[in-house]
Amino acid sequence: MDRVSSEEGGTVNTVDTGSEALLVVDDLVKWFPLTRGIIFKKHIGDVKAVDGVSFRVKKGETHGLVGESGCGKSTTGRAILRLHEPTSGHVFFEGRDVIAMSKKEMRAVRRDMQIIFQDPYASLNPRMTVRDIITEPLVIHQIGDNKARKDKAKELLEVVGLNPEHANRYPHQFSGGQRQRIGVARALALDPKLIIADEPVSALDVSIQAQLVNLLMDIQQEYGIAFLFIAHDLAVVRHMASHVSVMYLGHIMETGTRDQIYGAPQHPYTQALLSAVPVADRVVERNRERIVLEGDLPSPAEPPSGCVFRTRCWKAEEICAVETPELKDMGGGQMVACHFPETRSVLTVSGASTA
Amino acid sequence: MEEVGSVTVADIPSHQQKVGEVLLEVEDLSVDFKTDAGVVKAVQSVSFTLHAGETLAIIGESGSGKSVTAQAIMGIVPSPPGVVNAHAIRFRGQNLADLTEKDRRKVRGQEIAMIFQDPLTSLNPVYSVGKQIGEMFRVHRGASRKEATEAAIELMEQVRIPEARLRVGDYPHQFSGGMRQRVMIAMALSLDPAVLIADEPTTALDVTVQAQIMELLGSLQEEHNMGLILITHDLGVVASVADTVQLMYAGGVVEKAGADDFYEAHAHPYAEGLMRSIPTLIGEDERLIPIEGAPPSLIRLPPGCPFNPRCPYVTDRCRTEKPLLRSIAGYAGLVACHNAEDVRSAKVGGGGGSGE
Repeated sequence: MDRVSSEEGGTVNTVDTGSEALLVVDDLVKWFPLTRGIIFKKHIGDVKAVDGVSFRVKKGETHGLVGESGCGKSTTGRAILRLHEPTSGHVFFEGRDVIAMSKKEMRAVRRDMQIIFQDPYASLNPRMTVRDIITEPLVIHQIGDNKARKDKAKELLEVVGLNPEHANRYPHQFSGGQRQRIGVARALALDPKLIIADEPVSALDVSIQAQLVNLLMDIQQEYGIAFLFIAHDLAVVRHMASHVSVMYLGHIMETGTRDQIYGAPQHPYTQALLSAVPVADRVVERNRERIVLEGDLPSPAEPPSGCVFRTRCWKAEEICAVETPELKDMGGGQMVACHFPETRSVLTVSGASTA
Repeated sequence: MEEVGSVTVADIPSHQQKVGEVLLEVEDLSVDFKTDAGVVKAVQSVSFTLHAGETLAIIGESGSGKSVTAQAIMGIVPSPPGVVNAHAIRFRGQNLADLTEKDRRKVRGQEIAMIFQDPLTSLNPVYSVGKQIGEMFRVHRGASRKEATEAAIELMEQVRIPEARLRVGDYPHQFSGGMRQRVMIAMALSLDPAVLIADEPTTALDVTVQAQIMELLGSLQEEHNMGLILITHDLGVVASVADTVQLMYAGGVVEKAGADDFYEAHAHPYAEGLMRSIPTLIGEDERLIPIEGAPPSLIRLPPGCPFNPRCPYVTDRCRTEKPLLRSIAGYAGLVACHNAEDVRSAKVGGGGGSGE
């Protein structure tokens, strides 16, 4: 199985033949109903957490899904796995629509789609040993006998850089970074084709975070697993992903290769987001141009008409309130949902050459 | 190789051009927490000086003692289990330890104010924000209810909360995270403090909001000529605003320098490790070089240098003798490392961070 070479992230032609797409998310919608009253729950509206999201992830590629809190990135990840049942839309995994599947079929597909959660403290059962946690997926899917599972646990602990001797320990005996490694080992247990990683390194200190980032990259290289990497940290995503989608208020604003998004962003929101990320360099910080967005994120229960970003956009005109911009191909696979797209490189700073 | 005692070191040439009045002097501060498992040495002999108009960034990862340092200055370390020991914590020359709790309370809030990471848990959900901001005036200045409300509106305008007059009666849950943090800043500034301590003020916020809040803090500091202590784990957030940087690890200060020197040159292996661990938005997308291992338990600190189990430059001396902050040739900062010269020359020779 060939992998997407990460060195060529920027130049690879991204026009999909369809056959190499592992995951195709098509117009995915997840609304959470708002109700009033206790007995007669009157439906008074919806929180439009995810409102028509489409993107695709190729085999062995890391696709970054970035955005600020409340943009719907985590809900998207969960809706793909049907941990939140989507309101509408399609999710094709290896060409088959996951949303239309029966429970039984779904269970089989879940072998190939795993998830890693943000909080390494809440996502591991404190009363199970590490071995039980890691081999639980094998038990559920009735794979191997006891001996084989034990060996597998040992092997996986080694893969994620933990001491296999510690398989009998409990989660509280591990640090945050080590627990996240346990989560990774569990996700790997069934040899999945896709791992949805929901802010997997956000809760960790930088020195530990770097260890996990490297581990995830090694695993991907080694096993050719595709990642949907959900994160708010654009710098981490730049390291991990070959393709990136930027979300805002339930919509995808821009999607493209890593170099397109970071080097030549065309959507005003992508530009604002990139310009706001702090960089640990005085020269860069002092000289860079910073786009400071006015106002607050609108409520996803009452999103603005037309383009959802228009209330904070310095380019907004009348048409933005009337017509929702569709994702348009701007060339090279870079898709932008904006009436006035324009390339603006916000990260190039004069005099900033050193790393 | 002149050794400098950690107590007397406070002034670093590069931030001396910013000569304001000395506001805060912390000398040899230590904080222990006595727990059933043992004594947690949260802070160990930390010293620094803060001038008016200066921004001091205290940087460190979880458990480094940066927040406890701030709590000790404020006098809000829970006791028991906390035990604060300091040679002196002086505000405008007055040792705070000599004050009665009543006088101390006057300093706290009026002279030294603090904002916290999580604005939602720091605000009272059942009172309107106007009432909470105004209460400062009612309690400390004896203002009437009407005066307090007017003052609250003025402060809300100052921290740029839009439509302050309309929103003064709103409750905390009706504000976004960024706006709540503005409310917290308004409360902290209400009595025009000389020193503002901001403990991870933007950590809970999104990057675009983070940028707004940092900008606000920066301009307010300039207006009021405050001494500002920014406590953070994020080297990026404070890069543009800090004048002085104090890097903490396992309860102690490992490096202290003017911000320009620190970001350009830093000489402690931990500082170097941190810088290399940060994924960057700019420049070559190199493989990250993490710091191996994990921070030590504060109950059982390793002998010698607390960083020695993770340090690539470790020598036998590091395992037995705890390094003190000292100055080294060719660097304007102070470093608590026996091998800082080697770290420096390795970096200069190896060429800016390129891996092998």
